[in-house]
Amino acid sequence: MPLSVLIALVVGGIAGVAILTHLFGFSKLHRFDDAEAARMAFLREWPDVATGTITLSADRHSALIETNKGPALVWAMGADSSVRFLADADAQDTKTGLSIRLADLTAPNIRIRLAPDERRAWLTSMKVPR
Amino acid sequence: MTSDLSYPDVVQMAVPLFIALILIELLWIAMMRRGGRYETRDAVTSLVMGAGNVASGIALGFIAWGFFMALWAITPLDLGTSIWVVALCFVLDDLRYYWVHRFGHRIRWVWASHVNHHSSQHYNLTTALRQTWTGTFTFMMIVRAPLILLGFHPAMVLFCGGLNLIYQFWIHTEAIGRMPRWFEAVMNTPSHHRVHHGRNPRYLDANYAGVFIIWDKMFGTFVPEREDEKVDYGLVHNLGTFNPIRVAFHEWIAIFRDVTQPGLTLRERLAYAVAPPGWSHDGSRDTSEAIKEKHLARHPQDRGTPGFS
Repeated sequence: MPLSVLIALVVGGIAGVAILTHLFGFSKLHRFDDAEAARMAFLREWPDVATGTITLSADRHSALIETNKGPALVWAMGADSSVRFLADADAQDTKTGLSIRLADLTAPNIRIRLAPDERRAWLTSMKVPR
Repeated sequence: MTSDLSYPDVVQMAVPLFIALILIELLWIAMMRRGGRYETRDAVTSLVMGAGNVASGIALGFIAWGFFMALWAITPLDLGTSIWVVALCFVLDDLRYYWVHRFGHRIRWVWASHVNHHSSQHYNLTTALRQTWTGTFTFMMIVRAPLILLGFHPAMVLFCGGLNLIYQFWIHTEAIGRMPRWFEAVMNTPSHHRVHHGRNPRYLDANYAGVFIIWDKMFGTFVPEREDEKVDYGLVHNLGTFNPIRVAFHEWIAIFRDVTQPGLTLRERLAYAVAPPGWSHDGSRDTSEAIKEKHLARHPQDRGTPGFS
């Protein structure tokens, strides 16, 4: 197969799948039903870690979780979720919430939407430098 | 000696088929609201990984090819090109695939290349194309050396490898439940391969087969899919990015960071590169064995059942 045809097929295929999945409504971010759902998402990755207070964001796309290993974040990764501990996190205000930077190649910058009053509470709970 | 033998590049030829089947699966799921899940960024990442895999093959394929042709030049054996030789080559190359795949899960150096294939939390036909960009650097082409030395032409071996890859495409789906019993007994199927992509402790390090599931049954790594335990797809600790560059290289960089940290013995540095994924010098991480043991501590009733025996 000529390289030009292969490239056209691949680029067209990727673009087509991207457009169709979006049009079908498959771009929606995961929303946690409640704090318990966020806790279950955390335990899915860390079943042996004890959890405490859970603060669900107003948009229900992320939650701050107190654990016996320090504060942790569970957040929507597309239609699913991911978890990171925040012991070495650096959090910065953004226009829409917080930008949480980690020394982690697989989650270097987690952006979460929070109202201004939520941000203060989260930063206090996270106890990380602003 | 058949030194100038050539076969078609079947993987490139199959690209239109891949795209067509992905569109059919996507439409099926969208219309029927069952048979799997799609997510836009996840699917795009998988497809970009697939495109990058083809590109890296074009850019770096000469290394494996040069190695194979060097072996071909020194072997006195030539089995010829009959259909039976091709069939035998296909079966033996599938055995080769089983072991390379098993190494890919049990040796961190090889896992660094293979991890990206397991990094999606979805399981659909795009996941099949979420392939490595760094396979050359695992040096797993060495495992093909016996085939060349036995007299299978390198072009035939790569042709059979391509057919193997194409076979594995269709098994990356939740749209197909179970195949007929005789088929499930011999061949790798969507059900068997769903287990392989599971991050459930029960399903870790199981079902390495490419085409024939018999290898897992022979070597004790077969675990059947259970109705009472739905497969949870992805990594033990899932990625927090859809960036294909990070998906492709993160574990290599993690190995580098681990190996170069201060205060380790030479043996510990080596272990960070070649021990099973999850190994750590201070026990702060879990290997799949440790994950299974911890699961059994919480669920002792599972001991002795498939995946925990």
